[in-house]
Amino acid sequence: MLKIKRLIKSREIIIFFTIIILSFFISLYANSFLHIDNIKNIFMQVASIAISAIGMTMIIITGGIDVSAGSIFGITALTMAKLSTSGVNPILSLFTGAIVGTLLGFLNGILISKIKLAPIIVTLGTMSIWRTMIYVISGGRWVLGIPSKALYFGAGSIGKLPFPIFLMIILIIFFSYFMYKRPFARYIYAYGNNPEFLRISGINTSNVLLFVYTLAGLMYAISSFIVVGRTAIVQANIGTGYELQVIAAVVLGGTSVTGGKGTIIGSFLGATMIAIISNGLVLLNVPALLENLILGVLILISVIADILTNRGEIQ
Amino acid sequence: MKNIEKSYGGVRALKGVDFDLKKGECHALVGENGAGKSTLIKCLTGATKLDSGNIKLEGKEIILNSPKDSLERGIAAVYQEPMIYPQLSVVENLFLGKEIKKSNGSIDWKSQKKKARELLLKVGIKENILDFPIGELSTAFQQLVLIAKALLFTAKVLILDEPTAILTEQETARLFEIIHSLKKEGIGIIYISHRLEELEKIADRITILRDGESKGTFLLNEITRDQIIELMAGKHLIEKKRKEKNVGNTILEIKNFTKKRIYEDISFELKEGEILGFYGLVGAGRSELMQTIFGIIRPDEGELVFQNESINIRSPQQAIKLGIAYLPEDRASQGLFLNFSIIDNIRISILDRFRKKLGFLDEEESIKLANNYLKLLEIKAPSIFTKVKNLSGGNQQKVLISKWLAVTPKVLILDEPTRGVDVAVKSEIHDLIFNLSAEGLPIIVISSELPEILKLSDRIIVMHEGQMTGIFQEKEDLTETNLIKASIGEISLAVR
Amino acid sequence: MNIISRNIFKNRNIILLIVFFIIFIFFSFFTNDFFTYYNIVNLTKYGVEIGLLALAETLIIISGNGGIDLSIGSILSLSAMTIGVLSSKMGLNILISALIGIAVATLAGSFNGFLVSLIKIPPLLVTLSTMYIYDSLALLISMDKYGNAMPISTFPNSYFFVGQYEIFNIPIQLLIIFIPVVIILHLLLSKTVYGKQLYAIGSNDKVARFSGLPNNKVRILSYTIGGLLAGLAALTMTSRIGSARPDLGANLNLRAITIAVLGGTNIVGGEGTIIGTVIAILLITVLNNGLQLSGVNPIWQDGILGMILIASAIVNFVMYKKLNYSN
Repeated sequence: MLKIKRLIKSREIIIFFTIIILSFFISLYANSFLHIDNIKNIFMQVASIAISAIGMTMIIITGGIDVSAGSIFGITALTMAKLSTSGVNPILSLFTGAIVGTLLGFLNGILISKIKLAPIIVTLGTMSIWRTMIYVISGGRWVLGIPSKALYFGAGSIGKLPFPIFLMIILIIFFSYFMYKRPFARYIYAYGNNPEFLRISGINTSNVLLFVYTLAGLMYAISSFIVVGRTAIVQANIGTGYELQVIAAVVLGGTSVTGGKGTIIGSFLGATMIAIISNGLVLLNVPALLENLILGVLILISVIADILTNRGEIQ
Repeated sequence: MKNIEKSYGGVRALKGVDFDLKKGECHALVGENGAGKSTLIKCLTGATKLDSGNIKLEGKEIILNSPKDSLERGIAAVYQEPMIYPQLSVVENLFLGKEIKKSNGSIDWKSQKKKARELLLKVGIKENILDFPIGELSTAFQQLVLIAKALLFTAKVLILDEPTAILTEQETARLFEIIHSLKKEGIGIIYISHRLEELEKIADRITILRDGESKGTFLLNEITRDQIIELMAGKHLIEKKRKEKNVGNTILEIKNFTKKRIYEDISFELKEGEILGFYGLVGAGRSELMQTIFGIIRPDEGELVFQNESINIRSPQQAIKLGIAYLPEDRASQGLFLNFSIIDNIRISILDRFRKKLGFLDEEESIKLANNYLKLLEIKAPSIFTKVKNLSGGNQQKVLISKWLAVTPKVLILDEPTRGVDVAVKSEIHDLIFNLSAEGLPIIVISSELPEILKLSDRIIVMHEGQMTGIFQEKEDLTETNLIKASIGEISLAVR
Repeated sequence: MNIISRNIFKNRNIILLIVFFIIFIFFSFFTNDFFTYYNIVNLTKYGVEIGLLALAETLIIISGNGGIDLSIGSILSLSAMTIGVLSSKMGLNILISALIGIAVATLAGSFNGFLVSLIKIPPLLVTLSTMYIYDSLALLISMDKYGNAMPISTFPNSYFFVGQYEIFNIPIQLLIIFIPVVIILHLLLSKTVYGKQLYAIGSNDKVARFSGLPNNKVRILSYTIGGLLAGLAALTMTSRIGSARPDLGANLNLRAITIAVLGGTNIVGGEGTIIGTVIAILLITVLNNGLQLSGVNPIWQDGILGMILIASAIVNFVMYKKLNYSN
């Protein structure tokens, strides 16, 4: 009985129902909302955010943050695009892009875990550095003509299922399993709860931090391949503002910003909610700028709700 | 453990203590605050390194460099402050660091849950709380879980530090059953507690520590409670009492202060010109009580009457304005800004007094003030601009005292005023307290040191687990034995 | 040698000043058009604007408890658009519009402060959200009836006084805004009761509370002043360039924070000075300008800033460790 009560109160269920209610309302005003094509569209959007959110979730669970997500996203996309349009094997280009993403995440991780700088400062710094590199490498111009093999992440499909959605499902299942089953994942949660205690218990806490930022870099890379795969171009300002969407998805999904709890599924639901709102705004002819406004307000409400309920609990 | 010695910066916490534990026995360890119990345990759990002496486990000498070391060897401790990951579930907390894994390295939740249920049953928890975030359970449950966790790691030595302090009678009975069964399995238990009546039920032998030395190890059925208390107390030289004071009117009255799980139904008066001592064990609720008076904690119930007016104190700012000053027990985390200079620390609570036009600070005046205190309290520092973190403990404490004297309080509350201070400064501070009192300032002193509290106080209130267990004011009643008895709950409120 | 280096080390400001001079001299010699009257005046004007934002961040970061304001640029945008819309679209007197614009900025800052102090949300999250909220609001009020963002360029001539007038070849905004602000803030932080309280709550929030300080009030005020400074920057900027756009403050956050950190403001709170920040303002402004004139693509600005930010943080950290372990 208690278990059912807890389930009902669980953040994931609340978001799930909010999504259902939201969808209902939107479909009242916009007929095309529940169209299968539109739904597919929505989940294609969800895919890239949700995959990045896997890494961001772990980061925020440890009490950190990563505002360089968009810049890493951009640079991996650019790397892949530039290489593949210069005749490099598309698979190799993708692979290189992934390595770049992982390395950039690793760099963040080193600065945070070994040199012990504050995550906001590190990621603010790397955000700008890579943003500059994007402009420098791209020359401010778009990259077009990316070979279709390299676009597979976004354009390909497994049977009837679009590849991005397929990949998202696989990664979510894999990492949910990881978070649930692997001892190392327990340490991520433990770190967010009580880093001192974890350290005293003899566990290498800086490795934990290093891991989450590195993994996140890889996830951003994968997400960028999906988005580029869908749009077939890499613009010069690719990825700007991306981190807000990812952070919003994670925070909405119930991951506590003070660290210590959060789930991949929750972030997935958060990403879904955001994509639905985004999609709904378009269908309802609401100006795009409102999207950021709504996101900002949603994050605030979500965090306030978290803090107020947490205070009640700790008493 | 043989001949264990440990000093902390010149203070000898352990002066060559011998202690041994037999297989399957429950060995009680008792002693007043500061007697050395926690230090001894810290040596055993690897939290501290011994200066000299050795530890032998099952005949072999071992060196413990970290808590992990002693855990691996089967020595585990459960403390009063539960060390938990609040948002993780019970089963997660149990197995963190010692997960049951399948052959591919992933967590075997099924086996873990099974084992968790077994362990919890062993500590008497039948309810299914495996998936509950441990932070939502009561502290009593948390402790039981931690004991279960200790069982998971250890097969040899289990240290319980005041385990029953927060347990109900039922839970305590349950704990004793667990202890019995653990003993049967051959596990040795070190049981630290002040509840002598419990020890009689559960312990086989008892060792009494005092002032860093062992006063003897006895079979429990060979020693009486009074004898134990006497050994704990010893015969300290109490300095001659100053002459009788003129005690004035009641300036502060606390009526029925209650705060759930912290203190209950506390009522007392403070009169002008008197020094009221508060004695008790760590965790008795004294600091929390004073912090309530000071406005940091809000009581659930109760009334505060200050200078004949019933007042609701909601913040330290308000308390200070009223004239109540509180010198906190932890000067590093509550009392001083370590990175600030002496003068900045002294004047931080009275900045308004030096406020000139437009909010500017009257540096000159405050410099004068700070220099005065430097002289008055003989603070040894190059200047008032020296950073406080560069001072010795004793001088830091003097700065802290200056800060609260500068507030020109009508009531001064001192929480462990001589903690971490060397003998010379201690005596200076005592003299200062006497002088202030002679001038009519009502002072409350919280201290866990018997000789100190007896020396300073005109009256002593003793608290035990949140309740007042004794008010002693007549000379004959102000004895160490009485105080210790009251502090461990051996006697309850006897007002004479 | 060791003693000397330790002393100099402790005086971070001197090092910054030296570096500033080196950079200044370098560009004067090697870059055309740098050491011209026209350029110096221009870069001063620009420096005033970013400088006000950096000073805002300084105050906020000193206040501690994770103090930071990622929305400072957005507050500027919102304030700028407010001034523009009120005066040209609604025909309000420019002086009143300007005052309202500054008031809006101040309120935005207070809102941040309120969420941080009273609801106890981490400043990072608060200002990340409000950054987007204020940006969107700025965009919103700039929209015409077709939903297009319309920059405002119709200001009365009298408005350009603040941003463009020069007296004896010195930009007026330096004299009537920046220098007074610097003096006031410096005095505020180093010589007033409020200043002591601000450093106290930034150093150790708990000890401050136990000492009877009004933590919440002090903190909210720091964010409020930050907003006010952003409003002043908006006024100065729109007056200088003669138009108001909703993305005016878009890239300024990073720059403001970098300058504050470079100037010695410690991200954990309790440490930082106005003078340090001012020297950092000089340094970064001159660096930016010099690089631009040297033909370095402006795109490099952000990247270089990012590196300076991380480098400053590392230096701060190393110095902190050295100073704390040398005892």
